[in-house]
Amino acid sequence: MNVTLNWLKTYIDFEFSAIELADRLTMLGIEVESIKELGTALKGVVVGKVNSIRPHPNADKLVLCQVDIGEEDALQIVCGAPNAREGMFAPVATIGTDLPIGISIKRTKLRGEESHGMLCSEKELGISDDATGLMELSSDIPIGIGFTDALGLDDTIFELEITPNRPDCLSLIGVAREIRAETGNEIKLPDVNLQEDDSDIREITSVTIDASDLCPRYAARVIRGVKIGESPDWLKQRLESVGIGVINNIVDVTNFVLMEYGQPLHAFDYNKLGEKRIVVRRAAAGEQITTLDEEERKLTPDMLVIADATKPVALAGIMGGYETEITGTTRDVLLESANFDPSSVRATAKALGLNTEASYRFERGVDPETVIPAIDRATQLIVELTGGTVCEGIIDVYPGKCELLQIHLRPKRVNFILGTELEADEIRQILSRLGFGVDTLQQQDNIYQVTVPTFRRDITREIDLIEEIARVHGYDNIPTSLPKGDIPIPTTNTLDEVRRRIKHYLLGSGMMEAINYSFCHPNCFDKIRLAGDNPLRDALKLQNPLSPEMSILRTTLLPSLLENAQHNHNHQIDNIALFELSTVFLNGNEPARIAGILAGEIGGGVYGNPHQSPDFFDIKGIVEGALETCGVMDWTFAKTDASTFHPGRNAEVLLGDQRIGILGEAHPEVLDNYELPYKAYLFELDLEKLAAVADFSKRFEPIPVYPSVLRDLAIVVDQDMPSDLPIDIIYSTGGDLVESVRLFDVYVGDQVQEGKKSLAYTLTYHSATETLTDKEVNDLHDKVVKRLNQELGAELRM
Amino acid sequence: MKAELEAIQVAAQEALKDVKTAEALESLRIEYFGRRGKLTDVMKGMGQLSKDERPVIGKLANEVRASLTDAFEATKNALDCKHQEQQLITESVDITLPGRKPAYGKAHPVMQTLERIESIFTQMGFQVVTGPEVETEHYNFDALNTPPDHPARDLHDTFYLTDGHLLRTHTSPVQIRAMENQKPPVRIIVPGKAYRVDYDVSHTPMFHQVEGLLVDKHVTFSELKGVLVSFARQMFGDQTRMRFRPHFFPFTEPSAEADITCTVCQGKGCRSCGHTGWIEILGAGAVDPEVFRAVNYDLEEVTGFAFGMGVERIANLQFRIPDIRTFYENDLRFLRQF
Repeated sequence: MNVTLNWLKTYIDFEFSAIELADRLTMLGIEVESIKELGTALKGVVVGKVNSIRPHPNADKLVLCQVDIGEEDALQIVCGAPNAREGMFAPVATIGTDLPIGISIKRTKLRGEESHGMLCSEKELGISDDATGLMELSSDIPIGIGFTDALGLDDTIFELEITPNRPDCLSLIGVAREIRAETGNEIKLPDVNLQEDDSDIREITSVTIDASDLCPRYAARVIRGVKIGESPDWLKQRLESVGIGVINNIVDVTNFVLMEYGQPLHAFDYNKLGEKRIVVRRAAAGEQITTLDEEERKLTPDMLVIADATKPVALAGIMGGYETEITGTTRDVLLESANFDPSSVRATAKALGLNTEASYRFERGVDPETVIPAIDRATQLIVELTGGTVCEGIIDVYPGKCELLQIHLRPKRVNFILGTELEADEIRQILSRLGFGVDTLQQQDNIYQVTVPTFRRDITREIDLIEEIARVHGYDNIPTSLPKGDIPIPTTNTLDEVRRRIKHYLLGSGMMEAINYSFCHPNCFDKIRLAGDNPLRDALKLQNPLSPEMSILRTTLLPSLLENAQHNHNHQIDNIALFELSTVFLNGNEPARIAGILAGEIGGGVYGNPHQSPDFFDIKGIVEGALETCGVMDWTFAKTDASTFHPGRNAEVLLGDQRIGILGEAHPEVLDNYELPYKAYLFELDLEKLAAVADFSKRFEPIPVYPSVLRDLAIVVDQDMPSDLPIDIIYSTGGDLVESVRLFDVYVGDQVQEGKKSLAYTLTYHSATETLTDKEVNDLHDKVVKRLNQELGAELRM
Repeated sequence: MKAELEAIQVAAQEALKDVKTAEALESLRIEYFGRRGKLTDVMKGMGQLSKDERPVIGKLANEVRASLTDAFEATKNALDCKHQEQQLITESVDITLPGRKPAYGKAHPVMQTLERIESIFTQMGFQVVTGPEVETEHYNFDALNTPPDHPARDLHDTFYLTDGHLLRTHTSPVQIRAMENQKPPVRIIVPGKAYRVDYDVSHTPMFHQVEGLLVDKHVTFSELKGVLVSFARQMFGDQTRMRFRPHFFPFTEPSAEADITCTVCQGKGCRSCGHTGWIEILGAGAVDPEVFRAVNYDLEEVTGFAFGMGVERIANLQFRIPDIRTFYENDLRFLRQF
């Protein structure tokens, strides 16, 4: 909401500068989001009088004006405006002025005639879109004074953020009350002194409330004989300064009083009301109304309307009807000032997608006690501005009048909650300045009975009063201290530890951490070639997604990482090594996953460390290392038929029978779907399953005392034999004496028979109890070779 | 003979000065110490000396030999050194060739910030807990004193799922879950993802929050200030000042927003802080009694405070990324910067 400094000052005196005021309001909880100085851009524009006009010798459409701006010599100004005439008062932009629309005024010659400034239209001054001619000023303004001074445009606009609990601050008087809390100065309410005529309102209209649960109060006045026209400058300026459009003198008054009191008002054309009376009721099924914005709206029976004898004429608390609106021919006005149930207004506004200044306030709650001061103030202004007369009396139906709320406040509790040492008297003073009534209930226990003013409907409990006290005392004046209580005993969490260790391991292995949105496109399952019945397709759908790309919740991290690869490839970044740690959304649970991708090139790509294409064994090695960091040892890999992957280059990671993850080379079609021109290797692990078997305990193993003996062994076997078969046999043959077996070469080619491959291992023999002799090692090694030959048909390769 | 020895010594010393190579040194050594060497010849002549002269001249001869041996040794060492230096020069590398950096990854910048926040609070005794991202209206709103038609719900544009489920709009529901499972004292922080329907340069539909909650027999607003001021100093530097402004959250009362002195201008006022010198970083307040009621805590017996902060916002105070959506593109040129 916008308010201005000058306007605020009409309701309360204060000495603050604009900056100080903004600071005070902010520290009271009304955040000032911006401060805008009005009028500073128009310095250099003064009021001038056109003394004489003569034709321009060289141009038909231009004239030469002699303009008095209160200096010794009149200025010659070349002007093309059709309404320029002698004796006219108009704004003059003097030499050196930079107008807000981007014109800089310089001494210049127009068709050979000197021009010493510019006579301006409203558009040229940036105050309206009117460019039809010069802006005409009243001739009683002193010549030569600043244009903004003359029109009272020098002001400061504050844009305020009013929190939802403070609808009472959605008005100038409401903000003034906050300034009262700060300064103690009294509020100056507008003087209202209505001269009613002698026709009784009760004889010409009536108000019936058929839905008193939704309308606690409805008041009406009738003003007759109004002349609809433009509002005077002061009123237009006030409204324009806070960003409200100007319409006509009646509507402008209702908007003005809305800003002043926070009470939405509505003016009906009295003569267009059926039977000239008001019924407040729920809409009938099938009823419709065309609202002021000329939209036809279908109503439902839970919506509250203002109706005449037959039809709805307004959406209660939201917007008036088109048929009964004030027009140029309106003679008599029925003015409404009412109070509506917040939930009902909110529901209707939401259902119709219609948010207005009125609904904004009613949704948050308006003080029912403002109904009468606001309608009287508006009536008085309408009478003053339109020449109408007001009927005697007011109709005020008030079924929802409430008792004033009283709350017990323990000053001790205030200090207990805040950690302050406020005196009871300070607390009383703060509450009084906020408009609360404070009585002592029990002297000995020092409990206050606090009466809540009707405009503070947000205050219902002792804790609410404590916040008020804290706010006005100043949060900055509350001391700071550190918690004194016990620190709860922390518990450990294996999943967090698994997450932390794997993340550190992957970072150490050169992969970058990615974070992706939890959303994805439903077509991502097709893109990774999941079978139609794959349970991963069972994703949660958002009811109100931002876009199809963000319309379901992911069940796997792989599509996001493939998209990341695609994004990077599209930006010529081709050394892709990314991982992501996140939960996914599956079967009503949120299991934790870690997934990674290697694609394009790995290696530094520099001299001596060239790029390499990753392969299956790079991703496999990463997964093996990840498992090791979690203390998991006896995993196995098995081929799967997972359709996301190359059928011959994928594996699931098994712990016993349990699958804890999958890895492999993306299927060529998947690569195509993500427009990747190179192979990509993926893994995804289930962190909960990993956490269930993780073992972080470590036990010291003695460092070997006796020397090891190394022997290389190259064998030729069938090409399709898994390379871990020989290793199992070596271990089982050598028992404790085989410390390790390392595969260092795999060869297929001219040097071996077709259909065969050569596997080369380095075996490390070692005994924990003695130094092995050459003979012992040789015998053992021969035994190994023999068993390999017997069981696998392996031939030694020479 | 004495004179002869002295002459040899002087001549050899002189000759050594001119030796430039190992070969020259060797031939000089042969010239003096070889089988026919000058010094060897003199030594051979010792037998002809008288008994009286022999020990005197013998002593002198030994001295000359020792000193020359040392001089030859020194010259040899000097030549070796020089030779090695020359050898090393030929082994020079082009030091402008690139170093071979071992591959190393980097945590995502949002995670780096989150981990820093976590570590500051865990040092103050807060325990890290997490909770589900798909939530119910009850945990996300109702139990946090935000009933269905409360205008505060407008502040959170919510992603809805089916069956009354939604994506949590903040990490605050975990407060409720933690209090349901635990008696006071509670001292937790809740890092995690949250979601709101919002997508522009300063908003992403998914973002990260850290929620904090401390509940005990007598927790004051003053302690809330203490904890957060301490956090701000550790996070943003000792010179950081923090101010608390009244604000509104349905689940805290009194509620506050906390600002820190602008990290760009140190509070002098600049464009980043809208010339106020302050930058908002978090929301906080004393736990509203209605929240305690929702978890069956005794409203008179316990008090507490809660706070919540946006991790991207805090990260960006340091990184100053003009469009925070960049965080989630995972462009490697971006990720490598942090």
